[in-house]
Amino acid sequence: MSEIKKTSLHQEHLELKAKMAPFAGFDMPLQYSSVKEESLAVRSSAGVFDVSHMGEFFVRGKEAIQFVDYLIPNDFIGADIGKAVYSPLCREDGTVIDDLIAYKLSEEEILICVNAANIEKDWNWINSHVEKFDCTLVNESNDYSLLALQGPKSESILKELEIFPDQDFSYYSARRITSPKGSFILARTGYTGEDGFEVFGGHEDIKTLWSQLLSAGVTPCGLASRDVLRLEVAYPLYGHELNDTITPLDAGLKWTVKLDKGDFIGKNTLSEYKPNYRLAKLSLDKGIPREGYEVLNEQNEVIGKITSGTMSVTLSKGIGIALIEKDKFPKDKVFNIKVRANIMPANYHAKAFVVGGHK
Amino acid sequence: MASQIPENLKYTKEHEWALIEGDTVTVGITDFAQSQLGDIVFVELPEVGTELELNSTFGVVESIKSVSDLYAPISGEVIEINEELVDSPEKCNEAPYESWFIKLKVTNTDDLNELLDPKSYEEVCEE
Repeated sequence: MSEIKKTSLHQEHLELKAKMAPFAGFDMPLQYSSVKEESLAVRSSAGVFDVSHMGEFFVRGKEAIQFVDYLIPNDFIGADIGKAVYSPLCREDGTVIDDLIAYKLSEEEILICVNAANIEKDWNWINSHVEKFDCTLVNESNDYSLLALQGPKSESILKELEIFPDQDFSYYSARRITSPKGSFILARTGYTGEDGFEVFGGHEDIKTLWSQLLSAGVTPCGLASRDVLRLEVAYPLYGHELNDTITPLDAGLKWTVKLDKGDFIGKNTLSEYKPNYRLAKLSLDKGIPREGYEVLNEQNEVIGKITSGTMSVTLSKGIGIALIEKDKFPKDKVFNIKVRANIMPANYHAKAFVVGGHK
Repeated sequence: MASQIPENLKYTKEHEWALIEGDTVTVGITDFAQSQLGDIVFVELPEVGTELELNSTFGVVESIKSVSDLYAPISGEVIEINEELVDSPEKCNEAPYESWFIKLKVTNTDDLNELLDPKSYEEVCEE
């Protein structure tokens, strides 16, 4: 293994006495005060996450938009300039390489933000397809730091700091902005379900912004609360709900696969594909579902397993997402979860566990 | 911030404390353990009457993101469990040395000699 990497805010995390742990090759903050306090701060006020470990690729040129549209199953051509699109990234056989957000910054400039653990894999894949298009691909992951400011007070905080566009800036908007505080790419995206923003910038500008946000009373939040928050709103996480062996149609992402758009990698397979799996959102009244726990039907036959589980801070209840074999998905929605030696009845949730307040 | 290690208790390498009173041993987790775990949200305890072997698992303590087994610091019979912790697991964070998990009736007094004194336990925490 190569030496562990540090984000530009590493020293700040240590000074805040964060509990640190290796994640995707980076020494990252898991929590500062407590996972509970951090999660509740994001739901009720505002929290900030250092997510500089994530990867930033830029596609620039005349056919940049066409190229990204060909790469991903979701519709990118149809998105307006200044908007972002969430999508899986698939192989020809439909399996998922990663999930990403593509930001249409202009007619000829697109930012693709990818998971830290997959930067190299994604780069190799995307780079192997770029030559057919009139555009360039650059990996600028090392040049950018990234903060996620999340929570209902995020907008007013950014306005106070004069980092907010004059124009309409609704959910999933994305724009380059120059402010007295520096040059940033600002996007109304996030991974918590709350209103909030992701701010990409140079290391020094982001370090300044981090300290300004903390001075404004924003709670520093670690990766542990980020995982709780995304699970509460049932967002998938690569390596858990998504992986190299399943397609987006197995993982509840049918809405991202636009079979009626132009050609894209994986289209032929996905057009014919019959899913093998279906996700189920389950909670327990007593106990906490954890990754790997078996999920059973009413007759206590194993029908799947938990891919992510945690204690929901908002609901004070154990919640989890399960990957269920599609032909065994119980029509009566009766599920049990094997928690150590005990078989516990689970509640089935048709919708996300928590409704976030994003705009 | 150094964690508290009361002088009147014995300890294990698994970060549990034991209060010895005659042939009864009360068991909980240490201040160091609770601070490492973070917000404790779930506690699972054995039934009264369970016979525990030394170092066998007798229950589970879960934080938001992790699951940790609890180990019997001695062999003995469970004579009482702290039901209050099952309803209010956060007490383990707030007052770790008042938040006992189980009381054991000692079956082998030799086990008591294997427990760590406060100074030895402090060294375990510094490792």
